[in-house]
Amino acid sequence: MKYCFVIVALAVLHAQGQVPRLADGHPDLGSDGVWLPTHVADLAPNAAVPFQGWAKAKFLANNAMKQNDLDLRCLPPGVPRITLTARPFEIVQTPQRILFVYEGGAHVWRQVWMDGRTHPKDPNPDWLGDSIGHWEGETLVVDAVGFNDKTWLDDAGHPHTERLHVIEKYTRTGAASMKYEVTIDDPGAYTKPWTSSSSLSFRPGEKLAEDICLDKISK
Amino acid sequence: MKAPFVIGSALLALVSAYAQQPVQGNPPLAKDPGPFLPGFGVEQDKGPKPVAGPAPHLPDGRPDFGGNGAWYPGFNGNLAETKWKGVKSADKHVDVPFLPWTLNTYNQRVENLSKDDPEAKCLPVGVPRFMFDPYPFQMIQTHDQVVFVFEGDNYLWRIVNIDPKGTHPKNLKPTWLGDAVGHYEGDTLVVDVVGFNGLAWLDQAGHATSDKLHLTERYTRTDSLTLKYEVTIDDPGAYAQPWTASNTIRWRPGMELMESICQEDEKSSIHMIGNAPPAKK
Repeated sequence: MKYCFVIVALAVLHAQGQVPRLADGHPDLGSDGVWLPTHVADLAPNAAVPFQGWAKAKFLANNAMKQNDLDLRCLPPGVPRITLTARPFEIVQTPQRILFVYEGGAHVWRQVWMDGRTHPKDPNPDWLGDSIGHWEGETLVVDAVGFNDKTWLDDAGHPHTERLHVIEKYTRTGAASMKYEVTIDDPGAYTKPWTSSSSLSFRPGEKLAEDICLDKISK
Repeated sequence: MKAPFVIGSALLALVSAYAQQPVQGNPPLAKDPGPFLPGFGVEQDKGPKPVAGPAPHLPDGRPDFGGNGAWYPGFNGNLAETKWKGVKSADKHVDVPFLPWTLNTYNQRVENLSKDDPEAKCLPVGVPRFMFDPYPFQMIQTHDQVVFVFEGDNYLWRIVNIDPKGTHPKNLKPTWLGDAVGHYEGDTLVVDVVGFNGLAWLDQAGHATSDKLHLTERYTRTDSLTLKYEVTIDDPGAYAQPWTASNTIRWRPGMELMESICQEDEKSSIHMIGNAPPAKK
């Protein structure tokens, strides 16, 4: 019985495969393929979110008025929502920065600086924020600030302010899998930081398609 | 029974042969509408100019199109003219081999001050216009791709897959940016692009395209600060024969791309009425 378990565990490990590596020893987050996130409609479906009063009211209003979702008007979905939609993206690693290239949303891309810089003192409020990253062992940790307050954190409509600070952790757990953990730290909307997580699967050899959101609404 | 069919076919062949003839300047080309505003495009003296070094290469010998900085094409409103709207445009003048419909369309668009330009509606500028537009961009080379990232025009990206065999997938879905396959020829990146939707304009002036558009782009970094861009436009649905346009793109050392989202609060395009007479009250 015991051996049976070990054999099954080994088989699972084998199927997952080794995490590929770059020449510098860091995990290769995706040469030769794209990542497909699991669709997460609500970052906290069952958890108690530490809402501030206005944020709770805003969340309920957003949730009841999905037509106000700017994603429907082809604006960028923001962070972390862009990693929660079931649309593939590609990660391009260079020593100075890591690029995220998204098929969905508004055909946008995002850059995470890896050159040791800090955030600008007074960043422009952006849809995708200002992102800096570093490695913690096997995990890419991305720290993002400088957001506008127009996006929703998820489809459900969790709101945020310009004080939003997002910490994302990308851990490639195998050849075909990645774990995504996100901390929402927004003292303008929540009483304390809160976290959520999801998973992504790798599609080797697949390419991103062109999908122009405005094509569907501007006719 | 057979004769009318033969005559019909001959007539059809004659008509289609006529349709393939380039238009010989009649009706004439619409004129340059002139500068946007007085003083537009006058280069400000921004201190000492950077000094060009030799073109860099990657460790494996491929030309290096990146580095700490960004490429800036400048405003080149017309692929076929050296000056347009009061500023420098493409590198050389081209007598464009228009088909009748593309000449008409071009003239209408120029005379209408490009009021229906898809770019003004936040739609993708398309290829090759990216290389003639006043938005900086960067090229990131991986082992099997060249990723173009653009600041302007909705913060777009474009991926060129490197494949010396140059094969495009079959049954391509028509798109704004097409399917791009590239290879290196010495110091030049050559990109072959097909699969267009025929909606993009080649430039702000309004050179049209059809879904038969086939582009051959050539990118050559001739020194550290200079990118020579040459594009052959082979579009039997729009032009009688292939023609080639070119631009010299400058490197801005240290420049980084900002986020720019065209669709954010876009309220301009409804005010673009071209040269239409004012509506009667």
